[in-house]
Amino acid sequence: MTTKKQYAHLHILWMCIFFNFSCSVDKEASPDQAYVFVKPDNFPEPTYTFQNNPVTKDGFELGKKLFFDPTLSRDGSVSCNNCHIQGTAFADSQQHPLSVGVNDQRGIRNAPSLVNLAFMEEFFWDGGVTHLDFVPINAIESDFEMDETLANVVKKLNADPVYLELFNSAFGIDKITSPYLLHALSQFTVMMVSSNSKYDKHMRGEGETLTSEELEGMEIFSSKCGSCHSGELFSDFSFRNNGINDVFSDIGRAGISEFDGDVGKFRVPSLRNVALTSPYMHNAKFNTLEEVLDHYENGVIDSPSLDEELKNGSQLGIPLSEQEKEKVIAFLKTLTDREFISDTRFMNR
Amino acid sequence: MKKLLLALIATIVLFSSCEENGEENPETFGTFQLEFDNVVGSQNMSLSDPGSGDYMYTTDSGEPFNLTLFGYYISKIKLEGPNGELYEDEVNVSANADEVKGYYHVLESNASSRFITLDDVPAGSYNKVTFTVGVEEDGVQEGAAGGVLDPAEGAWFWNWNAGYIGFAMEGGAQNSGQEEVVGDGWTIHEHSFSFHVGGWKDVEPAEGEDQKFVNNVKTVTLDFDSNVSVAENLSPNAHIIVDALKILDGVGVDFSTTYSVHAPKLGQPFAEFIPDTFILDHIHQ
Ligand code: HEC
Ligand code: HEC
Repeated sequence: MTTKKQYAHLHILWMCIFFNFSCSVDKEASPDQAYVFVKPDNFPEPTYTFQNNPVTKDGFELGKKLFFDPTLSRDGSVSCNNCHIQGTAFADSQQHPLSVGVNDQRGIRNAPSLVNLAFMEEFFWDGGVTHLDFVPINAIESDFEMDETLANVVKKLNADPVYLELFNSAFGIDKITSPYLLHALSQFTVMMVSSNSKYDKHMRGEGETLTSEELEGMEIFSSKCGSCHSGELFSDFSFRNNGINDVFSDIGRAGISEFDGDVGKFRVPSLRNVALTSPYMHNAKFNTLEEVLDHYENGVIDSPSLDEELKNGSQLGIPLSEQEKEKVIAFLKTLTDREFISDTRFMNR
Repeated sequence: MKKLLLALIATIVLFSSCEENGEENPETFGTFQLEFDNVVGSQNMSLSDPGSGDYMYTTDSGEPFNLTLFGYYISKIKLEGPNGELYEDEVNVSANADEVKGYYHVLESNASSRFITLDDVPAGSYNKVTFTVGVEEDGVQEGAAGGVLDPAEGAWFWNWNAGYIGFAMEGGAQNSGQEEVVGDGWTIHEHSFSFHVGGWKDVEPAEGEDQKFVNNVKTVTLDFDSNVSVAENLSPNAHIIVDALKILDGVGVDFSTTYSVHAPKLGQPFAEFIPDTFILDHIHQ
């Protein structure tokens, strides 16, 4: 709360009051549009607490440096980027369904894509983390008994004159503490807004139109999948069991809600960029969208927490013809945002 | 930003009200101190080294134990008086440690943490103190915080189910079923116990559904037996006893089966007794 930029705003506000003319601190006052968080027109309101951590160029660039820096891991070998790669919309690389190993209950989980985090209320497949700032602590500390690890990272950063300088220019601080480390990472990740897919441009009337196959796919999708994968983020962010298992070595939401009825439920994932984020599901069960569609059509496994939505027909799952599946996949591919995965702001240059 | 705006508005309001009410007596302020005195029944609390086999305390049911860690977060302190006097300690969460206000991490191992001095209390008479044990939703959901809420500087924080541990005690007990666990740079001692009480999500169960989540943050209200005056030249103090046995005996803890509590639901029986644990002993005027 003590950055120079804010004092500048304060001055402007004072001027407004003293000279009694109305003015607003608008975008003209900010030097670089590239570092301004913009809510896409077709998106919901963001949930992130920007008032506590306004994005600045220095903060974002520092967050980026941290994101690509293996110093954050205990043995100096792994950075955030090892599991979150821009080419797959910051999901992990296709071959690696990776474990985060936070505590015993948490088996192997597939790293989700990191997009549109600014609009989410709960993070992780089980929703255990309720604020973006707190997410990286889990990544940094692999075991919850080892509380000093975050402290060690802070210590390592404080011993590095380059970081001292960067934290000073981003936050005006002389000593690095963990909340500023977490704020810097959030400034980087909260800007990962993916909203320029073919679908978006079609919806916003920006000169792209979906083909008739894609449009039919969209129709089928919204009637058969849209009850869970709803809205512009293609998720209602509830926790559900979509029938991929009947034995749950990873109990999912129940680990957080401590409610037996939630065993086997996982967060409905956003499907933006889904064509890039294979493998699919929390346990990386499927490699292709065809397999996912086949699952919904004829592979749904019954268990006590299986979602009611998947018990509608004569058979478990969602009735889909081969043609319908192809159309849905054609539609899902329109959610790929090439601008996002080639956005140079997120590249480690 | 919101805070800046508020400050501006406050300044403007103050500025204009000064002009109108120039003759009013300026309000005066004094201090009020809360002293937390941790005890085990009739014994003073003193901490043992982790792994120690000396058990200086016993529960009601005769289980010998010792303590190696004892503490809690206190927040949202409020004083009230018989004539509508009201003082609410400022509460603020910020990355900047100096701007974190109203959250106190009281630790038996840190003597000075046991004294909380409120220093801008309007002069007047007070007969009741209320405070929260733990960190509520509004404290968690502001995001990364500094000072006593900084996990890299000793804050008690659960990463996997994000939130602060509001109350914790650790120690050893002769009958504890805990086996030794040696990890990379850490050890869980044989016969140790660790009770961490956290969880802040307040979710009403839907009709016909069981309770999901557990909110273990508790509010404690202590009535004074007489009115206490706060004024510029006075330094009143409330001596509050915090009795570990109230929890252990309240729960009726059997260390042979209960020795590792690290999730909201497991902590719920402990949390139920938190309000009984804080007892107003006396007031120094
Ligand atoms: C070893 C691989 C790995 C590394 C390294 C890693 N992550 Fe992750 N990340 C994951 C996995 C796996 C999940 C999902 C965990 C879960 O749901 O329990 C995840 C989830 C997340 C999420 C939540 C996304 C959502 O939709 O809920 C964010 C944000 C995130 N990681 C950011 C980071 C940052 C920042 C770093 C570096 C400090 C990092 N990750 C390092 C594997 C990794
Ligand atoms: C009952 C709610 C529900 C319905 C209906 C539903 N899904 Fe899902 N979907 C989920 C849940 C929950 C998951 C995550 C499951 C897990 O990982 O355990 C998921 C995962 C997925 C994934 C994997 C995404 C990833 O990043 O791993 C895809 C793709 C997907 N669904 C597509 C569809 C399609 C296409 C339809 C319609 C044919 C559909 N879903 C219908 C709830 C639903």
